[in-house]
Amino acid sequence: MAMELEYDRSLYGVEHKAGPFEITDEIIDRANSSTGESGLAFTSDGGAQELGYKGRIAPPTLPCILVRQVSLPDVKVKFGKTQMHAGQRVEPKAPVYSGDQLTASSHLKDVYAKTGRSGTMVFVVWETTFTNQDGTVVAEVQESFAKRE
Amino acid sequence: MHSHSVASDDSRATVEQYVKWIQVLRKRGHTVDGIVLTEHRQFDSQKDYSSLASQFDVLILKGSELDTRYGHFLVYGVTEALTKAIDFSDVRMDSRELMKAARQHDAIALPAHPGRFGIGLTDYIAQGETFEDVSIVERFNGGSRPGENERADELCISHGLLGIGGSDAHLTSHIATCMTDFNAVIKKESDLVDALLSNEFQPVWLADTLNGSSA
Repeated sequence: MAMELEYDRSLYGVEHKAGPFEITDEIIDRANSSTGESGLAFTSDGGAQELGYKGRIAPPTLPCILVRQVSLPDVKVKFGKTQMHAGQRVEPKAPVYSGDQLTASSHLKDVYAKTGRSGTMVFVVWETTFTNQDGTVVAEVQESFAKRE
Repeated sequence: MHSHSVASDDSRATVEQYVKWIQVLRKRGHTVDGIVLTEHRQFDSQKDYSSLASQFDVLILKGSELDTRYGHFLVYGVTEALTKAIDFSDVRMDSRELMKAARQHDAIALPAHPGRFGIGLTDYIAQGETFEDVSIVERFNGGSRPGENERADELCISHGLLGIGGSDAHLTSHIATCMTDFNAVIKKESDLVDALLSNEFQPVWLADTLNGSSA
């Protein structure tokens, strides 16, 4: 008998908006501090301009932090008792500058089951696109949550 | 015979990275003729790696690794008819039905990492399950933990099974850690199925290929 996943399929195709997120020097400083980033482009306007940017930029993983502020609906997966964060991946598309105003748009990408040493798990995958005030897509973040038996 | 690219949810390696790493292995004196991409729970008939294959002189074939209620199974020679007959995303399919359907549609399915603790065929056989259609298993698996390939060895010996080798690579530098040495010349997926049915092959570790054995 095939494993029939029960969850709220009506969430497919629905975009969930969040923001704006104002990118300040303070936010960039905190992101740099958390990863030990000291590159010129991330620490000063002058350094960034020397490297060809119009001003100081945020580290490319910043959207991974911002995405935690996006409120996502419950997918209502009827499986297992334990849910955990399973991973993130980010694809930077354009520089994020200090002073930018970013908005996020998230949609349900996939719900699937897999088996492994830990037994069967169901993964819920959300995809979030970050866009700046000019309408330029600056990053796409994929985030997974796992439910296990 | 067993590798995963970024098309699988748990791999970070691109096919291009794999074939470039194979060039490094060749410069070190190893013989690596090709790879089989076995993405988890899927088969993409549209993916075309022919330009990469010709650019780097690496045979790139496509298969699948499917989750079943009796562990993971590698499927070679996947046809469109097979993808219609079997739901590749069904993690609770009966692998015995998968093996039968595969042969009906000119493909072949065999157990991956049978010695894997918890989800290897060895454990299911120990629980009393029988798998009459299994004649080949993945004897060498590059992702195995200590003891798991030894369990696969024991299974092959005790049940008279043939073995292939697969790296189970999810990272670039893991490609070709173990392979399969075929007597036949393989150019396409159906050749691979025929070569497996011929029973003329053996699993090899990368180090075994330094003397020119084909893999």
